[in-house]
Amino acid sequence: MSEFVIIADSTSDLTKDVREKYDVDYVAMNYVIDGTEYVASLDWETHSAKEFYDFMRNGKRATTTQVPREAFISKFTHYLKEGKDVLYISCSSALSGSVNLAKVIAAELAEEYKDNKVVCVDSLCSSLGQGFMVIRASELRKEGKSIDETAQYIEDNRLKVNQFGTVDNLDYLRRAGRVKASSAFFGNMFGIKPIIISDIIGQNYAVEKVKGAGNAKAKIAQRVAEVVEEDGMDCLYITHADCVEDAEALRDKILELVPFKNVMMNNIGPIVGSCVGPGTIIAYCYGKKVTVKGSE
Amino acid sequence: MSIVKIDAGILLEMFANGYRNLCRKEAQVNDLNVFPVPDGDTGSNMAKTLSGGVHAQMQEDDDVSASMKKFSKAVLLSARGNSGVILSQFIKGLSIASDGKSVMVPSDITPFLKQGVDSAYKAVANPVEGTMLTVLRETYEACEDTEEFADFESGFAYVLKEMQKSLSHTPELLPVLKEAGVVDSGGMGIIYIFEGMLAYLNGEIIETDSDREDLVIAPATASFGPDSVLEYGYCTEFILQLMHAKTNIATFSIGNMISYLESVGDSIVAVQDDDIVKVHVHTFTPEKVLAFARNYGEFISVKIENMSVQHNEITENAPKTAERVKYAVVAVASGDGLASYFAEIGASRIVDGGQTQNPSTQDFLDAFRTLNAEYIVVLPNNSNILLAAQQAADLYTDADVRVIPTKSMAAGYSALSMMNTWAEDIDAFIDDMTMCLSSVTSGSITTAIHDACINGVEIKAGTYMGIADGEILCTCDNNIGAAISMLELLPDIDTKEVITVFYGDGITEETANNLIAGINESFPHIECGALYGGQQVYDFYLAIE
Repeated sequence: MSEFVIIADSTSDLTKDVREKYDVDYVAMNYVIDGTEYVASLDWETHSAKEFYDFMRNGKRATTTQVPREAFISKFTHYLKEGKDVLYISCSSALSGSVNLAKVIAAELAEEYKDNKVVCVDSLCSSLGQGFMVIRASELRKEGKSIDETAQYIEDNRLKVNQFGTVDNLDYLRRAGRVKASSAFFGNMFGIKPIIISDIIGQNYAVEKVKGAGNAKAKIAQRVAEVVEEDGMDCLYITHADCVEDAEALRDKILELVPFKNVMMNNIGPIVGSCVGPGTIIAYCYGKKVTVKGSE
Repeated sequence: MSIVKIDAGILLEMFANGYRNLCRKEAQVNDLNVFPVPDGDTGSNMAKTLSGGVHAQMQEDDDVSASMKKFSKAVLLSARGNSGVILSQFIKGLSIASDGKSVMVPSDITPFLKQGVDSAYKAVANPVEGTMLTVLRETYEACEDTEEFADFESGFAYVLKEMQKSLSHTPELLPVLKEAGVVDSGGMGIIYIFEGMLAYLNGEIIETDSDREDLVIAPATASFGPDSVLEYGYCTEFILQLMHAKTNIATFSIGNMISYLESVGDSIVAVQDDDIVKVHVHTFTPEKVLAFARNYGEFISVKIENMSVQHNEITENAPKTAERVKYAVVAVASGDGLASYFAEIGASRIVDGGQTQNPSTQDFLDAFRTLNAEYIVVLPNNSNILLAAQQAADLYTDADVRVIPTKSMAAGYSALSMMNTWAEDIDAFIDDMTMCLSSVTSGSITTAIHDACINGVEIKAGTYMGIADGEILCTCDNNIGAAISMLELLPDIDTKEVITVFYGDGITEETANNLIAGINESFPHIECGALYGGQQVYDFYLAIE
């Protein structure tokens, strides 16, 4: 049995139950509202999801920070001291600088802890797309794969995780500027819903637009059906920004087309949530390799 | 007097008289509107269309064939509104029939009409009977069945009589006319033109103070800037009083002046009337023209206009883009708000126009010329602008121009909002925009100007009508009520997801927000919002998708 620890971060949207089941830990990023910094807990300890998204609904802006240096150092050294290797599966490097910082810190720690190592893998995704890869890594670990084999597997297969999301209100995307899209997306258009994918470099990209929330869900279901493959039928992953009814409606639309065995659903955490805004729904599935590279 | 031969000069004077007669009756033709809405514009459109021909530059020695070619080309370019485009195609037919003829004789009337009718019918994809087309065709058929005309007076009198006969039963052919209690406006317009032509033959010169020449020469704008290039020179006109102190008026030769003008300019018209000389010339050096002219006298008046300014009028802020793009969209918009939203969501050029201000073929061509694109897609956004847009698309050669037949601002906005600039090919580009058209309903709210009963809906003057896709569905004493009732009457309202409201000129944001609140209350499943459209006549346009 390999002795290595798997660490995710705040954008992985894995609930406590899931983290315990798959024996994974995480490092936290921070979010800032009204000048006060809060830890982006995966268990919504400071603000509930509803409280957080209500802040946004009421016009407050949330900003975010990457994983602080100290958080990485304390988490990594904690496990290194126990004589364990660490596999950190990060939020997409196109969305957060965390993985680059982690690599620097891993190199620094390598001088001190010669018997164990920290391996950092860029998931090129976020939310339950990243979460899915963390779970997959845990399964591989259980199968007896080494840390390097597991890391290699994630790097080889990360683009097979497909993301299809849509937002309720384009204003949040426009303000956060974290989604690549033609400027024509961001006019004063009511009811225009972008279909947002995670592209080959892990950036969120509005690949298509649809009129109306119902049509957007139908389009996501259609796209999931187009890319999903036999080995991805075990589980469908859906995350939402405090809009469980929309998420359920999306789930039902997808299940009409593709008979997934299980569905995992969770709120989108504050880090991704602050960019996409309340009312966002995202589906993740495992299937055909993503080939799209977003452009302006 | 019996006229058995018409030369180019007479023919053009006949058209000019017909044109002036139409101008005189313009408002009357406009009022022949099937809806009680003050947006009828057939008379204005036909007058503006014909104006191009009447004010076209002719050479003195042009024969009938050459004059008709120039006349027809100018009319084609100034064509606007569907009736204007049909008129322009009718005249194009006359021009084809006149090919090679130096003069016209009475036996030409019938074959000319035949060619005109053929050409007019070809302008319309689905010709509707009970319109101007019927009036022209039935008149031609009647001419075919009659004996040859002895002279032009009797020929034109016969034509006019047959036109009136045909027009009087247009309501029998077209139910909307009958219901509204009017005859076809385009047919009426063509009759006024022929009436004026016949009047000229009978020696009656019609006068009007509503000549539309102002519309041919576009008003100057500030579009000529510090870095502009003088491309077209100056249109220079002056009236010169010949002076004894400077020249011998008795022996003054206008020919010498023309020779000089030809060395510094073109498009020259110079006439001498006793001791007054009138000159029109296009030149890059107006100062030389004026200096030369002053050798012979002093100016009564001088007018110099930069023709680049006229030329650029449509294309304000829009120098030809250096970088060639694959797709460009030209959209027609009425109202400053609508124009800016169309531009914001991706239209490269906005052609000003709409319900009561239909752009001409030339207006479209001017917009096309400012674009450097492989494909140009036009959104006419009004069924009465469609033909002029298509005519321009046919005439333009520097790009592949496609027209998406959007019939309303709302539909055009909806189509444009789905534009994908990264579409693989032009078909995909157009598909993205047209796909939504099948599911968009265009609503509009406006006030009735007189009582009517249309489609079983009792309409009182001053009440608000809710119109969906061109059909009056309901009336109400306030604009918000009319909009909500109209939405309730849409059979597929439950499947709609999005409503965009454009509120018109003079409507407050507060009123628009009240409408949005009303829609939210009545249709909680629909996402909606209001934008300032700034359109005239219509309180609200609604894109219901």
